[in-house]
Amino acid sequence: MNSRSRRFVVVQTIAAGLAAATLLASGARAEDKIIKIGALLPISGPGSYFGVQDKQGIELAIEQLNKAGVNGYRFEVHYEDSACGPLPATQAAKRLIEQYKPDVVLGEECSDATLAIMPIMEQAKVPLINAGSSAIKITQPGNPWTFRIFPDEVMQGNNIAANAYTKLNARTAVLLHENTNAGIGNANVFNEAFTKLGGRILADIGFGRDVNDFTAIATRIKGLGQVDVIPTYTLEGQGLKITQALMQAGVTKGGDGHAIQIGTIWLPFGFEQKAGKAALGYVRAVQFDPLDQRPLVRDFVAAFKAKYNQAPTHLNAHAFDQIMLIADTVRRGATNAQSIRDALAKTRNLAAVTGTISFDAHNQNTSMDTIHYMETLPDLTWKALGWN
Amino acid sequence: MEGARLELMTVVLQQGINGVVLGSLYVLVALGLTLVYGVLVQINFAHADVVTLGAFSAYFFIHGLGGGYLPSIAVALLVGSALGWLMNAAIFAPLRHRGNELLPLIATIGVSVMLENAMLAWFGPIPYAFESPYSNDVIRFGGVFLTLQNALIIATSIVTIALLYAFMKFTFLGKALRAVSQDRETAGLMGINPDRIVMLTFVIASALAGMAGALLGPVLVLTPFAGTSVIVKAFAIVIIGGFGNVEGTILAGLLVGLIESFTTQYLEPGMIDIVVFALLLLTLALRPTGLIAERREENV
Repeated sequence: MNSRSRRFVVVQTIAAGLAAATLLASGARAEDKIIKIGALLPISGPGSYFGVQDKQGIELAIEQLNKAGVNGYRFEVHYEDSACGPLPATQAAKRLIEQYKPDVVLGEECSDATLAIMPIMEQAKVPLINAGSSAIKITQPGNPWTFRIFPDEVMQGNNIAANAYTKLNARTAVLLHENTNAGIGNANVFNEAFTKLGGRILADIGFGRDVNDFTAIATRIKGLGQVDVIPTYTLEGQGLKITQALMQAGVTKGGDGHAIQIGTIWLPFGFEQKAGKAALGYVRAVQFDPLDQRPLVRDFVAAFKAKYNQAPTHLNAHAFDQIMLIADTVRRGATNAQSIRDALAKTRNLAAVTGTISFDAHNQNTSMDTIHYMETLPDLTWKALGWN
Repeated sequence: MEGARLELMTVVLQQGINGVVLGSLYVLVALGLTLVYGVLVQINFAHADVVTLGAFSAYFFIHGLGGGYLPSIAVALLVGSALGWLMNAAIFAPLRHRGNELLPLIATIGVSVMLENAMLAWFGPIPYAFESPYSNDVIRFGGVFLTLQNALIIATSIVTIALLYAFMKFTFLGKALRAVSQDRETAGLMGINPDRIVMLTFVIASALAGMAGALLGPVLVLTPFAGTSVIVKAFAIVIIGGFGNVEGTILAGLLVGLIESFTTQYLEPGMIDIVVFALLLLTLALRPTGLIAERREENV
């Protein structure tokens, strides 16, 4: 082989190699079509049980979706600890946007943190899906990039007040809430709605997250005369102590008192077992009914038990729904942040594990079937009250 | 009219009891802080985490090993004292010997962050339901109630304070501890080994913190951050009572407990910190040496 022929062979080999590399690269790109999901969750601090349980729901959904992919896309999640507070959430959101560059973001659970990250997501033009913050400001006025899949504080508060008045025949109430945007907001809505119906608020008691002993508060409530209901807006740890203190003071049914505590979706499943006898008669609005017989829910419960060897909570369920909602937008052709946002805005009557998802003009889910009322029985199991 | 007065008296009495219970808990936590400060003139930021670890060790002694609640208090006390010994021997003492007073102080912050995150990794972030068998047993008398757990807290505090007082007043080691607290160098010249006394102080303070954790466990929201929520108040108590002053700490602890109860009753729970820290500022302005210390100076 002369030198010219040798050069020709070398050039041919290089060309063939480049062609093969190009083919491989294009093949790899086809397989690597990824929807990048950022998750801003409280993984440390008093609200960290949210993050731990959300992660379980997210991982299950991702595992199921990535078996076959959706429209050729797979899903990837990157977690940041937003710690249930505005400052850490802001820092985590900026880190997420700058470093991970997500197509869509989930979070936060705590309203103050969600309100803090909303402008960052809007500026970055990345849709934010929220499943657990109730402050009205998140969607009223909200912004075009933030979507909430469960009822806001007004929808919840009006509903809880109406059910307390009509179903429980409550005429007097004491409001207990942590002094946060969500705590104060929820209590105010209940106050307004309950008063309009003819009920009377005997006391509106707010407290910081650093309060540990609720005996003094229970004593004060005991001295207020007959209290029919005690709507309580707090995280699990303080919620437990409040319920126990109210029982010890003889205010609630568990302590042979008259009052019924009404709780919110802030409390995870398993609360009754931790609170014990004190939880007797406790009525809770939960975001997910594990007794729901829809095949979608039964499949979710079975898959969750198979993966984690435990029953799912509402936090697991709403995190699962967030991912499935994103998958639904991809199924409808969304491929990036802008198209995911546009598809989210058009979501109507999507059947999810927690209930139905239909967004209004403010990106607020308008369905009330994500709120389920449960009453704690003497054996600490639940009875679904079927009020919605 | 008579009924209303009786009702008012009942509420006042009940909030008084609540305040004493809360104050007793604060005293148990604050005593360790004030002891360490008294001897070393050093604030121990890791004290809160010893409280938390005490609570967790009691919890796992009951739920992991099937032990009883009362023995779990002793277990927490031992775990606390072991941790106090370890922290001082491995970290604080070597740093003190370098002659820079700032290093051990910063180290206590480092140890605190490290312990919190280690507990977060071991125990997870979800609150534990630490049930004492005495939490739901309620003694009711004349419209007033007290859980057996709270009665146990008051009784334990009284016994602990009495034992600590007797130790400080009547034993050689207690006297040596007071001597080191007053003048370390002179105490050394008198044949007292200050390093041993410092170690003893850390062990006693941490043992008290561990025991407080076991008693606080059923009262607190038990998470790896549980102690942190109490320690801020404990610091305030130590300052109000007079840094390093055991009697002042006891008085200030009870005072803060009562302030919390009556603020909740007649103002708002959200006002508690405002009232407590206003008292702290007032103390710093009017009696900078604390409630008791200044009185002593006057008595001299």
